[in-house]
Amino acid sequence: MNNLKLFKRQTVNELSTFYSFLIGFIIAIIIGSIILLIQDKNPIDTFSLMLRLSVGSIKSLSSSLNKAIPLILAGLGISIINSVKLWNIGAEGQIFLGAIAVNFIYINTQFNSPSFHILVLLLAGFVGGSVCILIPAITKVVFGVNEIITTLLTNYIVFGVTIYLINGPWKDPKSLNFPAAAYVGEEVFLPTIFGKLSFGFLICILFTFLAHYLKNKSVFGFEMRIAGGSAMTAVYAGINAKQKAFIAMLIGGGFAGLAGAIELLSQTHRVSTGISQGFGYTAIIVAAITGMRPFGIFLVGSLFGALSIGGSVIQTIGVSTYIADIIQASTLFGALIIQFFFNYQIKRVDDD
Amino acid sequence: MIDIQLIGLLNATLQAATLLFIAALGELITEKSGILNLGVEGMISVGAVTGFMTAINTENIFFAVLVGVLSSSVFASIHALVTVVLKQDQTVSGLILTILGLALSSLLGKNYVGRKLVTKLESVTSITEPSNIIEVLISQNIIFYVAIVLMIGTSFLLKRTMFGRRLEAVGEDSKSSDSMGLKVAKTQFIATCVGGAFAGLSGVYLTLSYVPYWTDNMTSGRGWIALALVIFGGWKPYRTALGAILFGFLEALVPRLQTYGFELSPYIVKITPYVITILVLVILTIYKGGKTGAPKNIGVPFFRENR
Repeated sequence: MNNLKLFKRQTVNELSTFYSFLIGFIIAIIIGSIILLIQDKNPIDTFSLMLRLSVGSIKSLSSSLNKAIPLILAGLGISIINSVKLWNIGAEGQIFLGAIAVNFIYINTQFNSPSFHILVLLLAGFVGGSVCILIPAITKVVFGVNEIITTLLTNYIVFGVTIYLINGPWKDPKSLNFPAAAYVGEEVFLPTIFGKLSFGFLICILFTFLAHYLKNKSVFGFEMRIAGGSAMTAVYAGINAKQKAFIAMLIGGGFAGLAGAIELLSQTHRVSTGISQGFGYTAIIVAAITGMRPFGIFLVGSLFGALSIGGSVIQTIGVSTYIADIIQASTLFGALIIQFFFNYQIKRVDDD
Repeated sequence: MIDIQLIGLLNATLQAATLLFIAALGELITEKSGILNLGVEGMISVGAVTGFMTAINTENIFFAVLVGVLSSSVFASIHALVTVVLKQDQTVSGLILTILGLALSSLLGKNYVGRKLVTKLESVTSITEPSNIIEVLISQNIIFYVAIVLMIGTSFLLKRTMFGRRLEAVGEDSKSSDSMGLKVAKTQFIATCVGGAFAGLSGVYLTLSYVPYWTDNMTSGRGWIALALVIFGGWKPYRTALGAILFGFLEALVPRLQTYGFELSPYIVKITPYVITILVLVILTIYKGGKTGAPKNIGVPFFRENR
């Protein structure tokens, strides 16, 4: 009798994550095309329009990369926290609290040097992100409360606080129809590199290398991996697993908070609900799809940034912006399916 | 003479509890088989929008419920395919199911925002303003009674039927179950789809009765509260129901506090369910000290070693 059986492959191709992503992306484009066809839109026209409006000129390319900044930074934060095998679903809230922290420091302090002022505000954003994950981190490390649910729920709490601030104490009387805080002064705007590309992109590159070093080259990264592996090994190696997990969570939250600070200082220039448009959730896809590799996060984050810009401009021809979200999520599902074939082998076996 | 406000509070408690409970019960069944599905939020959303669209287009309420339940179940089968058949990470797959579900339902529901329903899910009796507890209990929406039946049915299923015992065995120790000849993959696949169907029912209740209209992201974290409820209930149907009533009560109470003389900002009212969920999870974890009652194999993909 012939039987199909599953075998785990002894060696998995080193580039399997990359190939899975590539094929996953193709699958997602096909799914996107089907959805467009159902809506009576020509997929080739739509996608070429998206391509032109997201990377076709210096102006559009720079807005795509601007969009990539929060995805990359939040994605890096998620990958650092995943080194200890924990999940951060709260990047969205951390981005908001980062921006809130920036505005709080901006209102309450005075600096003569603008560049030093900007530096302090960026730091405030990082700390804001860390503060946002503080309660999930403490409850996880001390009591063992599931961090997936607590980090997710903090998103709703921080968003509620944001709504409260921009409708209450921080409400700008000049902004009548759209609740928002007052604009920050032009002296703290982040400079641009070329076109509209924010200086934040350089910070992003720096932090990509930093995350790579932290995760893969530093002693702390090694300890994080052991702490996230087996509890017994950590004990034998004399590593305080809980401490590593706690620090990893604060750093990871800080990365997302920094994204919020950059978003405020270079894009929105004020606290509003527009600080993040689901960047924290897309960042989960970005981090997961790359197998938590910092350089991969940088590349996929840039691609997804362009995809989001493309998705938002095709609104004008009556295509829903959600098409970009669906393509991003489908890419990961496609990649997961393909990854299976890299990890397992299906063989025909004769039963005796 | 019972306070009319108290009656209103009880009514709102039961409605909010029903919504949370059905989704939580579905997730409980899925998790019992050892599969963690973090896609509850997305599944509720898919059920909510497909049910609403069907109700608008066909004006047939039972057909709308059916479509909502089935489409969520089919949607959950993506998770089953990726995690059960292809053995990929359950956390990643579940999270993406939520993101995909929310995006997909926003896309589908784009032209349905603000539309009014002609037919809704109605309460079983004609009492519109109940004046005592009995009248509250007999005037609930039909889904409330369905939820009670599902609760009793699930408890019976888990404890007294072969399917339930198999489900539990697979979730506790899939390797032994497999060597005993149980079909691990089939059981887990079914349990995931049943979980999706329950989330779909919760979704149609949301758009066809509880709210009732459609807008983007209207599930507003209820799927995640349902996930917390499963932990709260220690993976037991009756205790999960108790948890749902507690959460439903808090969700109903906080906006009403003002009528009892408390001054509360509406913004604070909005975030309380999430704060309370975190608090409850923390208290529960401290109290139980790690013995949560979770199925032992949860999150671990089953793979039969072949040599």
